Amino acid sequence: MTEPILSTQDIVVRFGVLQAVSHASIDVVEGRVTGLIGPNGAGKTTCFNVITGLQEPTSGKVFFNGKDITNKNPYKRARMGIARTFQKLEVFGSLSARENILVAAEQRKTWDRSGFDPNAVCNEMLEKVGLSDVSEFMVGTLPTGTARLVELARALALNPRVLLLDEPSSGLNEDETEEMASLLRKFVDEGLAVLLVEHDMSFVMGTCEYIHVLDFGTIIATGTPAEIQANPVVQSAYLGTETVEEAS
Amino acid sequence: MRGKLNGRLVAAIVVALILAFIVNKNWGAASFFDSKNLSTFLVVGIALGGIYAITAGGLVVTYATTGIFNFAHAAIGCFLAFVYWQLSHQYHLPLLLAMAITLLVVAPALGILLDRVIMRRLRDASLVVQLMVTVGLMLTIMGLTLTIWSPKTSRTIPHFFESSKGVQIGSVVATWHRIITVVVALLVAVALRWLLYRTRLGISMRAVVDSRSLAGLVGAKPSVISGASWSLGCMTAGLAGILIAPETGLVVENLALIIIVAAAAAAIAQLKSIPMAFVGGLIIGLATAFSAVFLQFGKDYSYASEAIPCVILFIALLFLPQARLSTGKIRLTKRTERLTKPWEALLGAFAIVAIVGAWANGWIPWFTGTTFGERSAIWLGRGAGFLVFGLVMISLIPLIGWAGQVSFANFAIAGIGALLFVHFGGGDGNPMGIVWVMLVCAPLGLLIALPALRLKGLYLALATMAFAEFTDKVIARHPSLLDPSNSGVLYKPLKILGFSISSAANDRKAFVMFLVITFALLFLMLELLRRTRWARRWIAMSDSPAASATIGVNLTTSKMAVFMLSGAMAGFAGCMLGLQNGALRVDSFPMFAGLPIVLLLAVQGVRYPIAAFMGVLGLASFPAISEVFGNPSWLTQLALIGPGIAAVAMAYRPEGAVFYTGRDVAGLLPWRQDARDEKKLLEAKEREQNIGKDEINDLGLTRPFTEDKVAQLDRVLAITDLVDEKKMVPGGAR
Repeated sequence: MTEPILSTQDIVVRFGVLQAVSHASIDVVEGRVTGLIGPNGAGKTTCFNVITGLQEPTSGKVFFNGKDITNKNPYKRARMGIARTFQKLEVFGSLSARENILVAAEQRKTWDRSGFDPNAVCNEMLEKVGLSDVSEFMVGTLPTGTARLVELARALALNPRVLLLDEPSSGLNEDETEEMASLLRKFVDEGLAVLLVEHDMSFVMGTCEYIHVLDFGTIIATGTPAEIQANPVVQSAYLGTETVEEAS
Repeated sequence: MRGKLNGRLVAAIVVALILAFIVNKNWGAASFFDSKNLSTFLVVGIALGGIYAITAGGLVVTYATTGIFNFAHAAIGCFLAFVYWQLSHQYHLPLLLAMAITLLVVAPALGILLDRVIMRRLRDASLVVQLMVTVGLMLTIMGLTLTIWSPKTSRTIPHFFESSKGVQIGSVVATWHRIITVVVALLVAVALRWLLYRTRLGISMRAVVDSRSLAGLVGAKPSVISGASWSLGCMTAGLAGILIAPETGLVVENLALIIIVAAAAAAIAQLKSIPMAFVGGLIIGLATAFSAVFLQFGKDYSYASEAIPCVILFIALLFLPQARLSTGKIRLTKRTERLTKPWEALLGAFAIVAIVGAWANGWIPWFTGTTFGERSAIWLGRGAGFLVFGLVMISLIPLIGWAGQVSFANFAIAGIGALLFVHFGGGDGNPMGIVWVMLVCAPLGLLIALPALRLKGLYLALATMAFAEFTDKVIARHPSLLDPSNSGVLYKPLKILGFSISSAANDRKAFVMFLVITFALLFLMLELLRRTRWARRWIAMSDSPAASATIGVNLTTSKMAVFMLSGAMAGFAGCMLGLQNGALRVDSFPMFAGLPIVLLLAVQGVRYPIAAFMGVLGLASFPAISEVFGNPSWLTQLALIGPGIAAVAMAYRPEGAVFYTGRDVAGLLPWRQDARDEKKLLEAKEREQNIGKDEINDLGLTRPFTEDKVAQLDRVLAITDLVDEKKMVPGGAR
């Protein structure tokens, strides 16, 4: 197995008496989509927050590219190559779709010395996610599904090495979800590492090469989609036999 | 964890050393170990602290239960103290009856009224709007109180049992008033605690803060609860007002200023702990008494003791834990707007100069016949004053409008700038002085913001308001900045392109033109800045701090940059402010004077540079209106009440007048196809959200459902989500 670009070791997050995440270790490998699934409240988004630095873990470490980044600021992690989207929209609502992406591309200028043109990157991303038509509208006025694509394009404009996607398909219809899956595939084939939190099981099983299952803050299973679907612990804890058959 | 503790410990030691130095340097003649001094200090301090504790406790209760920080809290207390005075000393009701009517009838009624009319609409408003509305309410109530009870008559509320001697404690007599105060404070503390933790209403009140919808599900009625919170807030405010009025005198400004004390105590309580709010109040009371008994500030700092609450607030901010970058709290507005093109901005700048130029030269016939239209020297002077305030407003646009950092300090910075300008060249008519002042005011703007940079936005607003008060009481009164013996004009006219620019009657037209041209240039600069990456980054930071951080924005340096820009612009405004005033007095820059400026800008729409110009027109409208009505006595407070009411109205129109007007006007312009398109898109979105009502009422009876409609309905009713949830959670086990 290749060395993971991003890994968490024994992450524990405690809110008062509530243990949101307990000893979660997740590996993310380049050129691969890694899934992180689990019921609502299992601690998936908290894991994302720990990885991106928005949430300080009670204990445990986060490694990126072999370096311990547990105590680094969120913006420093972004500059190292970690980008994310959010489960609940975190778009810049009073900027246009173009400006949302442009902010990210311009920000990348501060650490990426490859001499790219932020405007060109912005146009390319608008093109790729299919937002060219609405690029001048304020994101606050766009439908949720479209705003979600803005978030994706904004993250991709950073040219990240790891992309964390928090329920990217919610708010999208089936066609849009398929489009997003094929778009992701393109970037992953170019070497991007993706960590995907998702409720849409057919999307997860179709896109992920490797899956971690989180339940009550604990990783209860890891493996390929086939292994996960066959895993009795996962089935009894959460998936339900029917659904697995349906999805496969 | 250990690193943080050490950091705090170091900060605590540094603060303690500085305080020890100040105390040592200003120690008066009194001996600390003299039992009379010591007991005076304790008796006065505890009694004062008790009153502060009551008002701070009430403020924290309303904030904790409604999420709205009420800047009008002390002003409400002031109003109720006047009501009590009216009942007891004008209508000669027995004291207890007057107090009961004030606190048990008027106060709750006022609270419920505020809740119904204003506060409920603020629940989901942005912080900027919440702050503007409650500050507006503060000015409105102050203005109304001043209108009803003219400040020209002096009024007093006597202490309770003033004639009897009180109780001997040690070698000091504790008056009955003070004893009653302490007892009442203790009772209020116990009652609040009991209410919030032992009664059903109180428990629901606390639940509502955590989750409004969840609290609703378990049977709490949010409307009853918020009404109760505001009533409780008004009652505590009124009680504190009545108790403190005998000490400070029944003076509106003094009583409304107690908001700084309450805010400092609330900061100590981290805005949530009622016991800590009482401790905070007590600390401030004791500190004030300590300074009164033992300290003797030198003549250079003769008002320093009045700034004690400000200093305590700053210290409290230093020790607050850092705010977390929270997610999931984004408010998506339905605002439509697009970037102003450079040629449009240029056109706007020309229009501003043209309008003011036409007025100053008397080319607008409509105004002829009124003193306003005749451009009397008075009105030209006023015009210059409004434009100077406009310069302060425009300095706030990047700061509040774009970066979302609410600051009430820019007028104070401008005041310091005006004082510095005397020494940096303005006193000799040297225009280079303006540059030096701007260079000093830029880091000053940053310095003020520094303690609050890592905290949530509300604390910044508190810190800046405290700084404005600190400036008035300490900085602007220091003789090295302003020689108190000099009462003449401090500035020589600026000579620019052969024009003489000053506040002298002959120079006023040139001054107005100079001001409007620089104003228009700043307007143009901001419109162009809005198109750069700087403004984009600031707006992004304000819209979602968490997302900004995750795309690599260093929030701290980004905020620092905008504070410096705003500080420099305020410094420029300050030079003009000095020039326009000519002579400055020690009390030229009171904290309250800066608030209407911020409010009028916010009312127009703090995101748009043109709003600063609209704000100037708004400022001009108040004396103009008053003049049209013949300056009647009931309009004397219009300069307070006008901006106040306008700001309160933001509860209904949060985006600002420029936005609402601009939205409708843009669609009428032939080249603005985009505005029409966007309006359509917006309407479509609204339809999508409202689909439930219309389509379900039809139920497919009058016309068949199309497949699209069914899919749309499913989306709206979140049926697909439910299906997904079922996949996730078989049998709804979780």
